Amino acid sequence: MKKRLHWKIILTIAIIVGAIILAFPPREKIKLGLDLKGGIHLVLQVMTEDAINIETDQEIVRLQDLIKKRDIALKGATKDRPGQFSLQGLNPDQEGKTRDLLDEYFRDWDYTLIGERATISLKATVVQYIRDQAVNQALETIRNRIDQFGVAEPLIQRHGAERIIVELPGIEDPERVKNLIKTTAILEWKLVKAGPAPDEETLLKDFGGAVPEDSEVIRGDPKRTQGGYFLVSKVATVTGKDLRTVRRSVDEWNNPAVAFTMHSEGGARFEKLTSENIGRQVAILLDGKVQSSPVVHSTIPRTQGGIIQGRFTGEEADDLVVILRAGALPAGIKYLEERTIGPSLGEDSIRQGLAAGLVAIVSVMTFMVFFYRLSGANAVTALILNIIILFGALAYFRATLTLPGIAGVILSIGMAVDANVLIFERIKEEHALGKTIMSSISLGFSRAFSAIFDSNLTTVISAIFLFQFGTGPIKGYAVTLIIGLMANLFTAVFVSHLIFDLVVKKAAKRLSI
Amino acid sequence: MKYKYVALAITGIIVLSGILNVTAGKGLKLGVDFGGGTLVRIMFKEPVSIRDMRNLLNDIGLGNSVIQETGKNMREYQIRTMQVVKAGGQQEELEAHEILANRVIEALRGDEGKAGLEKGLKDLNNIDEKSLSSLLELSFPDKGQEFAQKIISYRVENGIISDFSELERTGLGQEVLTTLKEKTFLGKLTVISRETVGPQVGADLRRKATQATIWALLGMLVYIAFRFKLAYGVSAIFTLTQDVLISLSIYSFSNREINLPIIAGVLTIVGFSINDTIVIFDRIRENLKIMRKESFENVLNVSINQCLGRTLITSGTVFLTLLALFIFGGDVINDFAFIMLIGTIEGVYSTVYLSCPVVLFWQKLFKPKRMIRK
Repeated sequence: MKKRLHWKIILTIAIIVGAIILAFPPREKIKLGLDLKGGIHLVLQVMTEDAINIETDQEIVRLQDLIKKRDIALKGATKDRPGQFSLQGLNPDQEGKTRDLLDEYFRDWDYTLIGERATISLKATVVQYIRDQAVNQALETIRNRIDQFGVAEPLIQRHGAERIIVELPGIEDPERVKNLIKTTAILEWKLVKAGPAPDEETLLKDFGGAVPEDSEVIRGDPKRTQGGYFLVSKVATVTGKDLRTVRRSVDEWNNPAVAFTMHSEGGARFEKLTSENIGRQVAILLDGKVQSSPVVHSTIPRTQGGIIQGRFTGEEADDLVVILRAGALPAGIKYLEERTIGPSLGEDSIRQGLAAGLVAIVSVMTFMVFFYRLSGANAVTALILNIIILFGALAYFRATLTLPGIAGVILSIGMAVDANVLIFERIKEEHALGKTIMSSISLGFSRAFSAIFDSNLTTVISAIFLFQFGTGPIKGYAVTLIIGLMANLFTAVFVSHLIFDLVVKKAAKRLSI
Repeated sequence: MKYKYVALAITGIIVLSGILNVTAGKGLKLGVDFGGGTLVRIMFKEPVSIRDMRNLLNDIGLGNSVIQETGKNMREYQIRTMQVVKAGGQQEELEAHEILANRVIEALRGDEGKAGLEKGLKDLNNIDEKSLSSLLELSFPDKGQEFAQKIISYRVENGIISDFSELERTGLGQEVLTTLKEKTFLGKLTVISRETVGPQVGADLRRKATQATIWALLGMLVYIAFRFKLAYGVSAIFTLTQDVLISLSIYSFSNREINLPIIAGVLTIVGFSINDTIVIFDRIRENLKIMRKESFENVLNVSINQCLGRTLITSGTVFLTLLALFIFGGDVINDFAFIMLIGTIEGVYSTVYLSCPVVLFWQKLFKPKRMIRK
């Protein structure tokens, strides 16, 4: 008898000490959810359609080049939709050549070729791949940007096929972060043909009112330049991909600006652009809007680099540096959900949760002792150990404690005594039937066990469903509930029994229950 | 068991009235999580009445927003914009709701904020720690961060700073206070939290919530049918469905909204209410072996009565803890506590008065032979 008790005691103490070490001090060891810590929670959708679109555009250009090189007749190529384009005006006699070309260079595409027309569409598997890549790349880019922004413990995760969850604790300015993430950040330098002009008509005055073949009309960003319309060449001479370094700097009036240098190939193109266009303007575009359009005063050697200026505030310049360093997003971003919790709400919630918890524990304890007397004290001890083990488990599994999670802890306190009540009532019953104290206790525990197990299990099943479908705070709730119930199974059955074994004497005639 | 018909009648009435309320009457108020929309919580520097707020909101056409006081001294409120946004795509709808939230905040802020900002002063009630410490560094080198931390801690603890003199409690000297008075002003309000859920996510969550509930109920059916007999499983799912319907019906009569935690509450009720039922079923199984001479109905009756004490006590303790949560837990978790309280009481009712009659009817209907016991 003594030996059996010994290992039980050791096991129990080991678990409790382990739990205390893991969970103490709670402020440091337990991970707090956003609703208790304060911060921003964003759900983004990656517009993967953009990526398919870009791919389609690029492939159309590539096909047209190859067709020209092989002397295949072609009247035109038009995009039907992202992932599909058609060719018109093919020569049926050249069908063989066309097929050969497509088979060799366009393996990612399916095609149907009938007479003068062909329809070319991206293979389903390739579409899937591009979509997938777009999301992964967006994930990386966003991660880079946030890394540089400097947030402690950010959470950036892919969620499903096309969504990304971003959680940033401690951030108080949601607008700035959202802009930081959302900017696609396609930086381009394009030669200015005309502008700025107050409207399109004035702009196209010298061109007979029509937009020339190799140019396009772009708007100025009203925050940077004075707004207005520009006529720029379609093709960008230099893009963000050519940048070597980017850093915060100032312009000639000491206003915030962004300084950059380029890689050799891009630098060479830039040098050529400036040397051929002295006196003309070069527009710097970010996401298709003109940020500034400086005049080229002299050839800029490939090693020198330049600055991007234009009514930036310090913060805006900093953010632009972050964005350019982390790279452009492969596709657009849409915000689906945004929650900002201030730190004071988080503090309040913790405080109130703890207060409620305390009241709950005290009331339950009072009740148990009142109703079951000394055995009640047994249950109370088990309950306290239950809570300690619960927090230890939370710390061990690095589970996040949320406000619903605190509610879950309080709930499991109420449910914890359930098991004890079952056992005690059973003990009473057996004793009333005339059994001895010791056997009443044994029978009480063993007979009640199946009911305890069942009831805990069903609540756990519910909690598992909740975990599956729930989001952050609800997942936290499900986790604390499940851990609480499992800890409860241990303390109510194992520990309570142990306490009885230790306390009740063999020949006892009465039981304080 | 004597009251089985009465019980079923009462259940029917509650569920029916609940359904009527949802479809024809006020309806189930879907919260931000499900309906899409915005919830903004604000704390004011000085007490403001709901009437004043509504006037300010009326001026910008958002007078029908739901305004609720969440604190005790007329300074803390939560505002739910109810504007139906007719927008092009889903993205516009999310941004439109955000814009509404911004407009609400601006309207309530009023001119005071604008004047301060124009003078180049910073809003001490809304500035973040980094910026504040940079600001203070200029006048107090090397101490900027320390001072900023103290001020921000104070602000976090109290929610908002109503007067500069309050900062004396943080132990900062008069010099610091003078500098603050020169360079900052005390904004009229702080935004404690804001939540905007786009329609896409709202629809997703609605779908998931319904699915989760149905699957959980089915899960229970399977489990109980497995542990006991099919009749009991059917009774269980019937009882649990009643639990869900009755709880939601009663909840719909209150003025509260349905958010994710409420669904969590409903599912917890499902998992918990079945406990008592299992205990009784367990007892019935035992008694059937022992009380061979009694009629089935009698066995059910006896089992219920034997378990009644235990059912009341355990539900009682859970009720106690939930009551503590309801009274002391703060307003964020209050709705959850409320539906759990309803659910607990309702769970006892359904266990005692509903579960056994259903088993009885099922047996009578499908297995009449077993009813005759030797």
